[in-house]
Amino acid sequence: MNPADAPARLPTGARDVLPTEAAELRDAEDALRRVLRLNGYREVRTPTLEYGEAIERAAARGVDEAYRLFDADGRVLVLRPDLTIPAARMIATRMADHPGPIRVFYTGSAFRLPQPGRPRLSEHRQAGAELVGATGPEADAELLELLCACLRAAGLERFRVAVGSAAVMNAALDAYMDGDDARRRLRAAAAARDHVAWAASARGLDPALGALPTRRGGRGVLEDVAREIPAAADACAALSRTLERLDGTPAADSVGVDLGIAHDRSYYDGVVLEAYAPGVGAPIARGGRYDALAGRFGAPRPAIGFGIELDPMHRALAAAVGPRPVARGAVVAGPGAHDAAQALRATGLPAVACADAGRAAALADVEGWRFLAVPHGDAYDVRDRATGRRFASIRLQEDLPSLP
Amino acid sequence: MPRGALLDGSVDLLERAGVDAAVLRDPGRRLALEAPDGTAFITTRPSDVATYVEAGAADVGIAGRDVLLEYGADVYELLDLRFGGCRMSYCTKAGPDPTPEAVERLGVVRVATKYPRAAHGYFAGVGRQVEVVKVNGSVELAALVGLATGIVDLVATGTTLRENGLVERDVIFESTARLIANRASYTLRAEEIDAMVASMRAVVDEGVGE
Repeated sequence: MNPADAPARLPTGARDVLPTEAAELRDAEDALRRVLRLNGYREVRTPTLEYGEAIERAAARGVDEAYRLFDADGRVLVLRPDLTIPAARMIATRMADHPGPIRVFYTGSAFRLPQPGRPRLSEHRQAGAELVGATGPEADAELLELLCACLRAAGLERFRVAVGSAAVMNAALDAYMDGDDARRRLRAAAAARDHVAWAASARGLDPALGALPTRRGGRGVLEDVAREIPAAADACAALSRTLERLDGTPAADSVGVDLGIAHDRSYYDGVVLEAYAPGVGAPIARGGRYDALAGRFGAPRPAIGFGIELDPMHRALAAAVGPRPVARGAVVAGPGAHDAAQALRATGLPAVACADAGRAAALADVEGWRFLAVPHGDAYDVRDRATGRRFASIRLQEDLPSLP
Repeated sequence: MPRGALLDGSVDLLERAGVDAAVLRDPGRRLALEAPDGTAFITTRPSDVATYVEAGAADVGIAGRDVLLEYGADVYELLDLRFGGCRMSYCTKAGPDPTPEAVERLGVVRVATKYPRAAHGYFAGVGRQVEVVKVNGSVELAALVGLATGIVDLVATGTTLRENGLVERDVIFESTARLIANRASYTLRAEEIDAMVASMRAVVDEGVGE
């Protein structure tokens, strides 16, 4: 069938966002933005279109999963499949004079071709923060603390941030595995969360290597691994110092060690992190340290960042909060609706005039407005639709009370 | 939990690992069951286990590697449980292998299977062009009546193949049952899941020692 014949159809992986969800997404995004600004991070935007070549500099197969198109000169453009790479490109090329550390954040969408055979979205809304030109436990801890503050501000309470280290994994692989193929096989197993394949590939070697992706818990795990795999001791100690800095902060209870975390994005080379919340199978945030990335666009500068996946985060919020909350606002019914609605708006309460009184209740129902205002004598009664309680009576000439 | 061939082995293993799974011994037609200790079990077709776990309808599950590879579920694969052994194989009628003849004269091998991903992957790997016909049951028939040159199917003992005059030509991969976990559950219920993996690993290792 021609897609034009079925107007409700969308390209695979695309979806609409209807008012309730859009409002909730916007509120969560606003909360994130406030926290990021409060921490001295400044908002930036990068273009939706990038040269494919720019993405390939950072991620070898990054263009394979991107939507591709051509410019007038026949050069390959992509809808950005990732937000960290464009941010790194921008900082390396446009903010090279900044003495650092640079703190920026952005919200936007990354686009990736949906995997065949699986219902996956093509557009991934993200809010990300990058700290560039700072290294060491202090910088890593700043980002972890910031991520936790963001998720709490968005309304999540029961989330967990699992922190691993690409440096620990690389040191262990270099110590025990000969050949890039073998190392690549193990990294692929770790990225696929396949502990069985990892153990099979590490069979016959030190059992400490075979068990590495299963090692997680508190800081004690890092001491154990440092003892068992001396080559990774420095990297373990670095991660341990980062986590120490979280002691006594609100983030301490939400963050734990998980040495199995490995991203399929190849540019991470230090701390790697994934955040999860109940009710959502996918991570609500991920990120890590990518010291080598800036050097592919300009002068090398150490960097660490995270991206919060807004749709999964919103699913987690919906799971935690339950049924949709009522919208703050009123539907005003009857012939005087226009003036009464104006009077309510003047107090800051969103109001919709619906002169046809018969439709006002249905409208409030469908759109989930909290209040219904109906004429009562020569005034308007504003009632809470759930409780029936009268909040105010409006006489159009009078000053109005501030409504909840 | 997978209904069917893997269920008994799964229940045995869970019980030896100290999980009260007796309620699964006689589930009747009930699909969701609760053990006395409050553990909730759901039973599904084996090919659906990974889907339920991936979506978080279950925190952990037991699924064959064949299913994990075919559906590419995004889950943690925690432990090889070393039962439910079988292999994904390419099989044809006994006698001379009809495959080269098909390639030579028809240009493609036509293969019937319940596992199109495994079939495509295998033939791409050996560099042969393939036309995969998806069937839902009794795949052997497709090779017998000439619907396809061969089949790609799971083989456990090989009895069904033999009785239908088919032979294995190549093993694509070996499969056993695996303990899998939902990605969020793996992190949010870390201690419980690690304890479960440890006790099941002990049982599995002991079984191999015997």
